[in-house]
Amino acid sequence: MIEVHNLTKRYGAHTAVDDISFEAHPGEIVGLLGPNGAGKTTTMRMLTGFMPPTSGTARIAGFDVLTDSLAARRQVGYLPERVPVYPDMTVAGYVSFWAKLRGVRNPRARVDAVLEQVQLTDRRHTLVRNLSKGLRQRLGLAQALVHDPPVIILDEPTIGIDPQQVIEVRDSVRALGQQHTVLFSTHILSEAEQICDRVLIINRGRIIAQGEPAALRHQLQPGQHLYIQIAGASRGEALRLLERIPGVDSVRADDDGYRLRARPDVDVRGEIAERVVKAGFRLLELRPVAMTLEDIFLDIVGRGS
Amino acid sequence: MLRATWLVFQREIGQYFASPTAYLIAAALLLLTGLMFNSDLTFSLTVKPADPSLVPTFLSFAMVFFAPLLTMRLLAEETREGTMELLLTAPVADVAIVLGKFLGAWFYFSLLLAATFVYQIILVVITQPDLGHALSAYIGAWLYGGATLAVGLLFSSLTENQIVSAFLAMSVLLFLWLGDLAGEIVASVDLARVIREISLQGHYTTSFAVGLVRIEDVAYYAGIIVVMLFITVRIVESHRWR
Repeated sequence: MIEVHNLTKRYGAHTAVDDISFEAHPGEIVGLLGPNGAGKTTTMRMLTGFMPPTSGTARIAGFDVLTDSLAARRQVGYLPERVPVYPDMTVAGYVSFWAKLRGVRNPRARVDAVLEQVQLTDRRHTLVRNLSKGLRQRLGLAQALVHDPPVIILDEPTIGIDPQQVIEVRDSVRALGQQHTVLFSTHILSEAEQICDRVLIINRGRIIAQGEPAALRHQLQPGQHLYIQIAGASRGEALRLLERIPGVDSVRADDDGYRLRARPDVDVRGEIAERVVKAGFRLLELRPVAMTLEDIFLDIVGRGS
Repeated sequence: MLRATWLVFQREIGQYFASPTAYLIAAALLLLTGLMFNSDLTFSLTVKPADPSLVPTFLSFAMVFFAPLLTMRLLAEETREGTMELLLTAPVADVAIVLGKFLGAWFYFSLLLAATFVYQIILVVITQPDLGHALSAYIGAWLYGGATLAVGLLFSSLTENQIVSAFLAMSVLLFLWLGDLAGEIVASVDLARVIREISLQGHYTTSFAVGLVRIEDVAYYAGIIVVMLFITVRIVESHRWR
């Protein structure tokens, strides 16, 4: 549904998006994950036809965004990061304007349906200027959905709204994934993990990792990670003891205990318990650690720079 | 294309009447023209016959100052609010957006102009004005207004700051307007002619205002409108490249 090949955007000497390629299939929710300034917005702006790529191609539902721009734009619903509003219009008038501009056949029915979908029906006659930030976000979503596009592009839809509303927006994005292809950007890792079928981690304009959130974690986290707390041993003694255990790759001090990485094929837990006790120390805690996407992300971004 | 132009046009008209600016400008212009008309009428009791082109001539002059106020918002606000991004990613041609905006502003001005017909009605009731003269002045003022609005729209596309937009448009319009005076003081007759030919006044005061509709003057104002709109479309397109 979205096909991107070697897409690049340069501003003078600065390369905002550097040779990225990816695809999104129908019904898939793809997350663009990266820190601010990573090139997420620029990528989206190229896909929506707002700005042309310096090189490379992008297709939306088979239409090239550059050579077949109008047809490609018809397939996209777009919500920019800062919800663009006409403060002097009513909620229904605003949504209706975009519906008609995008050539919706039965605008009145679609406006009703989409206002119901984002739960703004009771505000339909309210002036946009009087909406709270969270409601504006929903209005922005309504605008992006009103022409029922196959592809929906949302730029940081959960930024700057309160936690309850964040949950609502996440739920609605997830619901959208059933009928639409959704591309959305975020810099919040847990969010990408919760919502996306696939995550693209982007930093400094490049895709540095991609995959299903679970696979990504698996791929980037070879071996088992354990957290151990030992009483009665000095830091040096404990490190020396743990390092000598067969199958242990690395150990480092972490908070009050130790973070240990072991080979995936051996279970070192029994050996650890036995040796710690035999050495006369007390084992207070021994548990596996699941690396969060956050750790992975920091790991990769750190390596990237 | 037509559909998009119509929708943008409709929204602009709605905006004019939803904001107090449009009413304030209308009220100010009607008050000013009313005062002028009244004093001219007093004169015409004794000194000279009433001038049927008085009000449209004044309105066309006033547009040098009012057109930038009417147009400063049009594109600058869209850019500032970010709605430009949605407009440019909607499946509509850039020219449709610009045209819709321009026609919206021109339509509002046409309503203003039409409101001053009341003075002509008064004249018809109390005397026998030269209606042909009045009509030509109105056609001229209408075109003059369109040209000033096109200039204003151009500057609205250049910046997201409405004040800057209005200031620049007003400067350029004043320059185009004063060109008429500059033509009077330069020594070279040829240069003076050229300056006069490009000035807004040069195509109004000696033709439309005295009851003449000349094709060259119509072409001048139409040309200004077309050129300004063309440049504006190019500038809007360039938003995509920045």
